[in-house]
Amino acid sequence: MASRAPAATGRLLVGFRKWYYNACGFNKFGLMRDDTIMEDSDVKEAIRRLPEPVYNDRMFRIKRALDLSMKQQVLPKDQWTKFEEDFPYLEPYLEEVIREKKEKEEWAKK
Amino acid sequence: SGVWNFGSLLGLCLITQILTGVFLGMDYTSDISTGFSSVTHIWRDVNYGWLIRNLHGNGASFFFICIYMDIGRGLYYGSYLYKETWNIGVVLLLLVMMTAFVGYVVPWGQMSFWGGTVITNLLSGVPYMGDTLVQWIWGGFSVDNGTLTRFFGFHFLLAFVIGGGTVVHLLFLHETGSNNPGGVNSDGDKISFHPYFSYKDLLGFVIMLLGLTSLGVFSPNLVGDPENFTPGNPLVTPPHIQPEWYFLFGYGILRSIPNKVGGVLGLLFSILVLMVVPILHTSKQRGLTFRPVTQFLFWTLVGDMIILTWIGGMPVEHPYIIIGQIGSVLYFGLFLVLVPLGGWVEN
Repeated sequence: MASRAPAATGRLLVGFRKWYYNACGFNKFGLMRDDTIMEDSDVKEAIRRLPEPVYNDRMFRIKRALDLSMKQQVLPKDQWTKFEEDFPYLEPYLEEVIREKKEKEEWAKK
Repeated sequence: SGVWNFGSLLGLCLITQILTGVFLGMDYTSDISTGFSSVTHIWRDVNYGWLIRNLHGNGASFFFICIYMDIGRGLYYGSYLYKETWNIGVVLLLLVMMTAFVGYVVPWGQMSFWGGTVITNLLSGVPYMGDTLVQWIWGGFSVDNGTLTRFFGFHFLLAFVIGGGTVVHLLFLHETGSNNPGGVNSDGDKISFHPYFSYKDLLGFVIMLLGLTSLGVFSPNLVGDPENFTPGNPLVTPPHIQPEWYFLFGYGILRSIPNKVGGVLGLLFSILVLMVVPILHTSKQRGLTFRPVTQFLFWTLVGDMIILTWIGGMPVEHPYIIIGQIGSVLYFGLFLVLVPLGGWVEN
């Protein structure tokens, strides 16, 4: 009994997250979540560290999205990015950049 | 998208206002005994004077439509993150408001005189030197000839100060390039200004000029106040003193606070709050395109400003007082609390 309640809550949360993901709408342009992150200095450094194929895929998705946006169109539904297929490709690099920055700041204080 | 046209449209508005204004200035006399009648002379006797005056008066309304849309675009798509461009834009907004205010006094109608009296009197709220400051601005002990002559001078001068500010605004914008509806980096996908944006801007110019000319020719008094057809009279106070529509939301906030200094500060901060927006940006995404929660808050702000505009034109009685107060609290609450909270939740 006790193990069923968290599982139900977990399913509800995943269901809500999936609904919110679709409500955001960037998937209709073929974008992934990490494509839409605002490019501050940390994000720019993380993008610089991406492997070339990942970077090229990112640039392709962004150019396609800009073109679609300019034409006031979206992709056909079967080409929308799916919640299950989206993965935070930039997150590990971004976390590394932020960690390095904090370490540098700590050293600078000493 | 189309909302990126408002920048160039503002440039067109400025050129239109300067051109029509220079021609009006050729026949206008800035003296309280002849000011109102010189405007009548322009209307009746000067070749196409009626059209030039219509275009100038309604051009001011279009100026504000364009500037509010430009700011709305900036808020919605996170363009304010170009901080230098944004802050100069806020200064430009203040300059345009000052220009429009002194410009409205120039025709010396009833609403010109009394609107000028109400707003200049607000400066008496400044501690210690308030009364001295007001008399210094007036050039006398009330709104009189000294006020009119200098206000006409300020109106002429400020137009060119706005021109200079526009150049600096564009200088900073060209450092970064424009934003886009997706809020993504577009450095890898640029196209030439000509022919894409030249024709896009030209289409915007045609649509705006069509709208301005239609309003000026078919319904020139649609947004004006009938009180301004009466010469300004310091002995007769109009029953409802109110500014033009583009100032009504601020007027609503001013009157919602039952304290003179508090009201003035509310009016001032209703514009200066825009400078705080970039600092309070909490979301990982730039614009609202992919943020449904904050989109709802944005449209709530738009609705709130429409309500405050309506309240600003209503008399200070129940139920308009409480509606105005709730609207004012919501206005500042949205900027300072709710939108930053929405960004944090969406993260």
